[in-house]
Amino acid sequence: MKTLVLLSDARHPVSGRPAPAPTELQAINLARSLADEVTGLHAGPDAEAARGALGHGLARLEHRKILAGHDPLPSLVAAIGTEAPDLVLAGRRAGAGDQTGLLPYRLAEALGWPIVADAVALAVEGGVLEVIQALPKGARRRWRLRLPAVVTVHPAAPAAASFALGAAREGQVETAIGIPAPPDEPAMEERPYRPRPRLIASAAAGAGAAERLRAATQAAGPGGRVMVDPSPEEAAQAILNHLRAIGILKPAAGG
Amino acid sequence: MNAAFGLSLVLVALALLAAAEGVRMARRWRVGRPARIDWPTGLAAIPKRYLVDVHHVVARDPYAARMHALAAGGLLAGSALAVLGLVPPLGHARFYWGVVALAFLVALAGGAMVGRRRYPRKPARLSGGAFQRLPMLLAVYVGGGLLVAMDAAFGLAGPLGWLGLVIAALGGFGLVRMIADGPMRHAFAGALHLAAHPRPGRFEGERATALLPADLDAPRLGGAVPADFAWNRLLGFDACIQCGRCEVACPAFAAGQPLNPKKLIQDLAGSFKAEPPTYAGSPYPQAPPVAGLGGPERPIVGAGALIHPDTLWSCTTCRACVEECPMMIEHVDAIVDLRRFQTMELAAVPAGAIPALSESRYAEEPGGRPLAARTDFAAGLPLPLIAAKGSCDVLLWLGSGAYELRHGRTLRALVELMRKAGIDYAVLGPEERDCGDLARRLGDEATFADLARANIATLSRYSFRRILTADPHALHVLRNEYPAFGGRYEVMHHSAFLDELAADGRLALAAAPAGRLAYHDPCYLGRYNGETDAPRRLLDRLGLERVEMERHGKRAMCCGGGGGAPVSDVAGERRIPDLRMAQARAVGATTVAVACPQCAAMLEGVTGDVAQVRDLAELVLAAVEAAPVAQGAAR
Repeated sequence: MKTLVLLSDARHPVSGRPAPAPTELQAINLARSLADEVTGLHAGPDAEAARGALGHGLARLEHRKILAGHDPLPSLVAAIGTEAPDLVLAGRRAGAGDQTGLLPYRLAEALGWPIVADAVALAVEGGVLEVIQALPKGARRRWRLRLPAVVTVHPAAPAAASFALGAAREGQVETAIGIPAPPDEPAMEERPYRPRPRLIASAAAGAGAAERLRAATQAAGPGGRVMVDPSPEEAAQAILNHLRAIGILKPAAGG
Repeated sequence: MNAAFGLSLVLVALALLAAAEGVRMARRWRVGRPARIDWPTGLAAIPKRYLVDVHHVVARDPYAARMHALAAGGLLAGSALAVLGLVPPLGHARFYWGVVALAFLVALAGGAMVGRRRYPRKPARLSGGAFQRLPMLLAVYVGGGLLVAMDAAFGLAGPLGWLGLVIAALGGFGLVRMIADGPMRHAFAGALHLAAHPRPGRFEGERATALLPADLDAPRLGGAVPADFAWNRLLGFDACIQCGRCEVACPAFAAGQPLNPKKLIQDLAGSFKAEPPTYAGSPYPQAPPVAGLGGPERPIVGAGALIHPDTLWSCTTCRACVEECPMMIEHVDAIVDLRRFQTMELAAVPAGAIPALSESRYAEEPGGRPLAARTDFAAGLPLPLIAAKGSCDVLLWLGSGAYELRHGRTLRALVELMRKAGIDYAVLGPEERDCGDLARRLGDEATFADLARANIATLSRYSFRRILTADPHALHVLRNEYPAFGGRYEVMHHSAFLDELAADGRLALAAAPAGRLAYHDPCYLGRYNGETDAPRRLLDRLGLERVEMERHGKRAMCCGGGGGAPVSDVAGERRIPDLRMAQARAVGATTVAVACPQCAAMLEGVTGDVAQVRDLAELVLAAVEAAPVAQGAAR
């Protein structure tokens, strides 16, 4: 089982100092539960932030040197070709730069591998990877897929290991020249952030002032039912129905 | 040939046996790393270190002091004199044997005191097992010697003397057998420990409380196996007499957390021995089980070893155990050494401590907050940056407490007082990084060293007379631990600073009405820096009714906030700050004065009908504001 973790040239969000991105460190942690030795891969001008990951459980770092602003994808694809890992893990999005979060998808497309986003737990049995995927509101979904695959890691995954100087000293960095890939399209357009207007539900014509106010101030919620003073059986049934509807419980037998 | 001559010969034989046992012990310490020791000074200083420094600690329990003086003094004097009986003119003098008998009688009285302390009921802090047999063996040996000496003194030459000789030989043999692995180990190891102590400065009037920097280029960081400790540290572990004073003083033990300093030292003392002696004292409260396997090259900490990691992370580094130890053992050094290996080699830190360490490393602030936000507490107060002024008289070191609303109030009071007293002050503002205290106590010496170097480089760019801080942890690090990294500063705690201002008449104080007040000594101010008088002097200037809690000054109890204990958060049966506030209630205090952001946070977090918690600066500001304006000092 060979696992590769993609590392970005991340910056600490507050201090701006080079610091490995938290989800990438969590990816290392997940990878260590599958294999003893985890290799990192970084394509960029220098590997200062990625190097820091060596103290967080990474045994070896492959660095593909490319110019700043160049697309790392060709270098990454080439390195994955030589390293031939079974699994490539990445953070949700890079810890610096454009942070589009698109790279794992472009990489999976280039490799022709399946991709699962937002993993919180991984297990491998007989070449089949089982991924627990984090969904909004604490929901979880289980995926089974054949390796090789690309998986991105969710912040809800188990906490990353703390920095250990002893491990960092022993970690190895192998630097090779990457593939130059100047960005072919002009940089993306940048606009100041503008909050999107909120859709306000309009009250039916002729409604009272209270109803118009309620309609104007209540955002359209995700739906649901309000039960006032229901009997315990009714309430329990409603909860069960909801849990079945969102897929946490199996559908009722025969229903 | 008479019984007295026989006793002398038996004692010579026993002395040789004892020496052999001593050599056996010394050979075991050789697994440790070498240590640089000033032998001539150390050996020459043993009597002074014993009679002054050790006695100073032992005498806090007057019964134990008398007991030990009688038992040890009588035993050593009687035995030495009896050996000298081999010199013919002395051995034939009946008066001489009378003196020997007197010495043994004194030892017998001491032995009786040892017994009375342990029987019929042994206090919980004392160890049982071989320690319970010690008073018997003492009585047998000195009783036998007494019979022989009396026989010779009265010139009886009868069967009583020979009977005494047999008894003394048996008892003496039993005592010598207790040297290598039994209670008598403390005598030999303890004396040698005084000569080869790893912190000789402790005997020269220094506080000597700064942690020693770890060698970050060493092949293995921190202490993993007994062989990683310097040999004189292993010697120190062997010096333990299991008196349990540390156990009584330990806040984590009192709170039912899995730490008992006495058992910790016993585990460490047993770790490098093939057959460690059985331990018959209090256990680690609620400690998860461990395999209990040790050896010179085997790991000490871990579920498969001797000490569970939770034991290590329960320590608040309050140094109460070190302060109480009559054998001058350095418990906190051992704990931090073991933590360093856990943190820097295994990355095995408690889950709650990981964010604090990561943020210390990557944001230079354990909370991960912007350094520029440190001065937010002062909104509206003038807080000049030293970068703008270039130089100042007093550089105010804010510390990580400045981000907290509670400590922000304290700092506002302090700034207000400095303004009223017309002090030329400034802060580093966004250039102030965390001092690294938390990272260092949690064993992350690498991050601490980075922070220390960065801070020292910043401080070297500015000129100021002295550093003022309201955080004793920052005080200790800046004053005592930065010198090893090349930063030497005059650092003052705000208690001493405000006391100085009040003494100079730069602050006009009026009695602020308040009920009974008790002062809670921060460990890092009292025990680590020996500053217990200035805060009390300052409080007394306020004209308050001040009472002392049962544990105060250098023997005060920790609030539970040091050593990263709040982030490590090891479960216990009680909470340390609850215990401390109960002590304040016991003396009827309605206000607890604190002088540390950790203490304020911990003690104020205690729920229920408890005393209010006020920082010294807040109390002083209230007194200044109560003073008539006409007498106020110029702004």
